[in-house]
Amino acid sequence: MSIWRRLRTLWRNLTHKRMVDDDLADEIRSYQELLEDEKAGAGAGPSLARREALLELGGAEQIKENVRDVRLGSNLEAIVAELRQSFRGLRRNPGLTILCTGMLALGMGASTVVFSIFYAALVQPLPFRDPQRLVELWEMRQSRGINRAAFSEANFWDVRTRNHSFEQLAAAHYDEANLTGSGPAEKVTAISVTANFFHALGVSPVLGRDFAPSDDHGGYDNRVLILGNRFWRSHLGGDPNILGKTLRLNDRACTVVGVLPPGEPWINDQVYEPFGYRPDADRGSWEFSVVGRLAPGVSVEAAHADLQRIAGVLGQTYPKDDKGIGISFGPSSAWVAGDTTKRALWVLLGAVTFLLLIACLNMANLLLARGTSRQREIAVRTALGAGRARLVRFVMMESILLSGFGATLGLALAYFTVHAIQSLEIAGIPRLADAGLNPWVLTFAALIAMLTGVLSGLAPALQAPASGIAAALRDTDRQTGSRGQGRLRSLLVTGEVALSFLLLVGAGLLIRSFTELMNVNSGFQTGHRLMFSVSMPGSYYEKGVGKQFLDRLFERLSAVPEVVAVGAISHRPVEGGNPGMGIDSVPPRRGPGDSAAPWASWRIVSPGYFRAIGLPLLRGRLFDNNDKPVWAEKGQPEAPRRVVISERLAKLIFPNEDPTGKQVTLWKGQSGGDAEVIGVVGDSRERGLASDPSLTVYLPYGRIALTSEIVVHTRGNPLALVPTVRSIVGALDPNLPVADVRSFEDVVNRGVAPQRFNAIVLGVFSGFALLLAMTGLYGVLSYSMSRRTSEIGLRVALGASGRNILSMTISQGMRPALLGTALGALGAFWLSRYMMALLFGIKPFDLLTYSAVAIILLATALLACYLPGRRAMHIDPAVALRIE
Amino acid sequence: MPPSSTTALLQGTLDVLILKVLALEPMHGLGISRRIAQVTHGTFQVKPGSLFPALHRMEEAGWLSSTWGESENSRRAKFYRLTKAGTHQLKDETEQWARISAAMASALETP
Repeated sequence: MSIWRRLRTLWRNLTHKRMVDDDLADEIRSYQELLEDEKAGAGAGPSLARREALLELGGAEQIKENVRDVRLGSNLEAIVAELRQSFRGLRRNPGLTILCTGMLALGMGASTVVFSIFYAALVQPLPFRDPQRLVELWEMRQSRGINRAAFSEANFWDVRTRNHSFEQLAAAHYDEANLTGSGPAEKVTAISVTANFFHALGVSPVLGRDFAPSDDHGGYDNRVLILGNRFWRSHLGGDPNILGKTLRLNDRACTVVGVLPPGEPWINDQVYEPFGYRPDADRGSWEFSVVGRLAPGVSVEAAHADLQRIAGVLGQTYPKDDKGIGISFGPSSAWVAGDTTKRALWVLLGAVTFLLLIACLNMANLLLARGTSRQREIAVRTALGAGRARLVRFVMMESILLSGFGATLGLALAYFTVHAIQSLEIAGIPRLADAGLNPWVLTFAALIAMLTGVLSGLAPALQAPASGIAAALRDTDRQTGSRGQGRLRSLLVTGEVALSFLLLVGAGLLIRSFTELMNVNSGFQTGHRLMFSVSMPGSYYEKGVGKQFLDRLFERLSAVPEVVAVGAISHRPVEGGNPGMGIDSVPPRRGPGDSAAPWASWRIVSPGYFRAIGLPLLRGRLFDNNDKPVWAEKGQPEAPRRVVISERLAKLIFPNEDPTGKQVTLWKGQSGGDAEVIGVVGDSRERGLASDPSLTVYLPYGRIALTSEIVVHTRGNPLALVPTVRSIVGALDPNLPVADVRSFEDVVNRGVAPQRFNAIVLGVFSGFALLLAMTGLYGVLSYSMSRRTSEIGLRVALGASGRNILSMTISQGMRPALLGTALGALGAFWLSRYMMALLFGIKPFDLLTYSAVAIILLATALLACYLPGRRAMHIDPAVALRIE
Repeated sequence: MPPSSTTALLQGTLDVLILKVLALEPMHGLGISRRIAQVTHGTFQVKPGSLFPALHRMEEAGWLSSTWGESENSRRAKFYRLTKAGTHQLKDETEQWARISAAMASALETP
């Protein structure tokens, strides 16, 4: 039979119910008349014929009912009727309905929020063509323990011409530029890219043109610009006639030739300049990000082999810079979220699943309890001939309806929560701004709503028809709920407790890690420090303009009464870049086994920096104004080269000796050059609290070595100083933008924002979980006690003391709690290893966390048992026994 | 014959009987019932309580179609006729019955 026919019939049955029924009534009446005719024809009188006809016909209504049952869509009608009935039932029990809806809304809302963040960060594809073939390439020097470094310019051009594996290879260099001409000067990110950069990514401008291959060879005078979409909107109001107009970048006029489509944050807020090919490109300085698109048909292995071959050639051809070079690449999916972020999001998704599961168990528990008091209704239905399937459907309907309510409320909750989280602008969660209730997230929400409904309705539904009908019909009040049901409910509570334990341990570990992180000795003094950056244009590097500016700035800032110390550094701690160099003592002190020179971060600092940031001098002296940069200025006599090193570095390259006055080789294995160590300062966590203290070499600032990150140590609130800072800088050079103004405390805290977010979210989840599990425990116990009222009354009458009753209750309640705790501990022990990457300063099996969680869980469980127990204690035997 | 001794209709028996009876000519409900009794020599007395659901189910399945018409004694009655799909169905079910009854007969005759 065609599906069309069925649908048409179904449609007719449902919409023209009246007509179909009337037709049936007519048909039965005609049948009856024909019967009467037949009987009359056989000789019966009219009244007898009528009687016989009616007898043979049977009940007309029953026939109609039978016909209705076979009609298409009869199931649908029954379901609608049951839905209506369930709805009425829920309305009669507003307490239960609100409780269940609230619980599920919480669980599903939380799941939806986490999933929307998860989706945006890990699932949503990059907005580039065929992102699977898109990769990022990097250099390595594994002999020196460097597994990943940026490309040097010359190496990039060589790899680009020599490789046979990539359809496109493109490089980008991040830089900052001062945008002037409209209002106050502003620091913007200006990225120089090879002409094929956007082509390699698979992005074409929405306005104007892409860079042409000739742009790479236009030299440094080729001043054309492509704008990121958001930059175009925020700085130029989305001007549709922008093409051909000029922007002043670092005091040079650049012509806009194109505007990019909206995309990832790192390709949205910037302006792009052509890279420019230089035959004399530098090979020693690793500054370039390189992206590539694998050629069709080239496997990842083949590409790796190809790059290895090129690395071998480069190493032999340019031993000075490329000795031991390796080249590797990784998938573009890592551009959005790194491994730790991925792990953190998976952990959050797991946690929220547990929370939802607990909500399901809890609801199943509540519905089971209700099922007991509803046994009579179910028994009546069974007696009236409702089949098992129909009963299951009827009971299930309720939980599905509840999960529908929960999902609706949960979605509303999720909507507001996602917005709230977005407004917090938590650093470190990729694409947070993209998170939202998109179709994928909605599908997910619908799916979990359905699953939740079925899951939480399963236990009550299977329980329903199993209970004895006869017993149920005979007397419902004495039903104590079957033994099996009591066990089932205890089992559900055990599950809830175990899952809560898992969540609590997860949260506990993250919170412990976070406090460890916050208490770690950063080496810096974070309080009362203001940081800001002045972005100095190229002209500042000529004729000592920049040095002069900085010195005047230090002088004026120092003159402000609240200021204690002022200093500057080339790369801001925690947030700034982390350039490095090979360094070793002259002659090397370390054993012949350690062939490679240590790799240390280098920073240019002003003499005042150490005091301003609070790094203690341990040996020797700090820089003074006579110390000159380690790079010689053209046309100037070479000054003595002096450096200050950090304590760990000192211990590493000068074991057991005082390094002051000793010589070290800087940029060992690269450009080289010796310098004298004049002092040793304390270690600091340059790359954020979660990273180990850096090995650091400090180099003196000067006319050609400028420091753009200013640190001011003040007596009061550092942010109160901001207007003063702005006016001082503005007075010195109105075209110099002051950017990234923040307290150092804020800078450090932002560095641990993801850890803080994870700890808070997991903490909140586990709090909910604990609450739900305890409600479950309390519910089961108090229900069971109320059912046992007469039994307890009898016990009391026979001489049981209140204490006996209380301890009986508590031991009954604590059994699932203890079992759950034990199971949870086992599960946590097994699962917490997956959190290893997120932990700091503690082991996944942290005894303190585990015991604290167990104590919290059992103490709350005791409380949840005590309340029904106390009620049971005060049962009056006379009253209790009279109920019988 | 009292109803209790009427042979209980095997599942699917009624359908094939209705199809068979309607294969000759269109008929109304009572006609079908009487004809079935006649062709089975009174073994099957089809009550309206089972006849009507069967007719409506088969009509929805597309094997039968119905029209209001006039009976032999000029009463308004609903007439059922076999559709093309019904003819097919009858053929299929006849074959199936033949197989089953042969199998049953041989099974029961085996000592």
